[in-house]
Amino acid sequence: MAMRSQVYEWTNLATGGNSSLRRSTTDVPVAIPTNREIDVFTGGYGNNITKPAETTATQFVVIEDIAATPYRDGAVQIRINTTDYFQNPDVTNQDGIPGLASPYPRGGASTVAGTDNLLKSFDLYPDVYVLPGQVYQILYTAKSDDSGSTTVVACFVKYTLYDGPDALIANKLLELGVTINPNNVDWYKRSLIEQQQKAAQAAAMAAAGGQA
Amino acid sequence: MAMRSQIYEWDASRTDGGGNAIAGSGANQDGQRLSIFVGGFGNNITKPAETTATEFVVIEDISISPTAFMKANNGAEPAYRGLTQATGLAGGRSFVQVRINTTDYFLDPDNIPNDGIPGTASPYPRSIDFQPSFNLYPDVYVLPGQVWDVLATYYNAPGMSYNAGTINAGELQCFVKYTLYDGPDALIANKLLEMGISINPGNVDWYKRSLLGAQ
Repeated sequence: MAMRSQVYEWTNLATGGNSSLRRSTTDVPVAIPTNREIDVFTGGYGNNITKPAETTATQFVVIEDIAATPYRDGAVQIRINTTDYFQNPDVTNQDGIPGLASPYPRGGASTVAGTDNLLKSFDLYPDVYVLPGQVYQILYTAKSDDSGSTTVVACFVKYTLYDGPDALIANKLLELGVTINPNNVDWYKRSLIEQQQKAAQAAAMAAAGGQA
Repeated sequence: MAMRSQIYEWDASRTDGGGNAIAGSGANQDGQRLSIFVGGFGNNITKPAETTATEFVVIEDISISPTAFMKANNGAEPAYRGLTQATGLAGGRSFVQVRINTTDYFLDPDNIPNDGIPGTASPYPRSIDFQPSFNLYPDVYVLPGQVWDVLATYYNAPGMSYNAGTINAGELQCFVKYTLYDGPDALIANKLLEMGISINPGNVDWYKRSLLGAQ
């Protein structure tokens, strides 16, 4: 299982405070601040994980999709180490992909309890690579206030985790300038096997020629 | 019939196979991982899912009932898009995980197993209101001799509807699509795995053609 499709879903639902490590049947919506980037992994709101997301020396992560609930003017940004991925044309910071452009759930409404069905206007292509040893964050920003009671907001990340030998191949593909995806990793493995087979055949022929 | 497209649909309200219909909110199974094959709830089968020495399974899609996100105080609107509203959500807040032997497939970024794919990302059934954000690629391989399971978890029991103390049909459903390779095709699937080639019916047929061509 060296290449695995993975997802992470964040919502502002928690038990016993603003955040909790495990989902629970007693989770309730927690208020989140407006115009502040919230790390969906360890930001202190909603469901969190135990430590910041990072790749080990033998892991390679390819982020393939990000999405957020469209209401509250939600937006989602990717940060690798300290660098934000999405920038304005003048190279200043921005909040990232609007939930209206990449809605979660897909087909959801643009307003809470709305009747429309939003489709995605955005496709994360090329994918975002997180190299071995890098720290990455997914940052959700709500740019407008809640009206009335607390709104449940969510953020979704789809990525592929390459581990062990497949992470080494992913690094090799990166050096070669080849897109990193499961197909290309398999292609590289096949080319290695073919080279080994050719080398073995050549050695066997050379040995046969030497005996003759 | 050496390559067969297969599906398994689980509904928490069904009792065929010896399972019980899920009871109302506050039941012990809320927030617990339930095997959709032998978990004792919904329709079950007679024994855990496993591959024999001459079988190879490729899981190609998994999905579960979706959830919509609402406001905390939503008592004025009891239903939204066919789902019951409660606690700021419409629906059961359900997730689906794949387990091979004792290893969970889906992990959080801190490498701790999580609940799996949210129904909001991979909804069953799909509709205009709930479309998939997730596609299971690369596929999940179950090698010969392995035991596999699909585990459903739900956290928002009040977000589902009940009748006489048990869940209504269609409120919590799970769907698995897989291909079963049997006999010689399972051997070919193993060979493709060794060669680093994706296992799908097209590639198995390609391997057979290449064997025939070499004869």
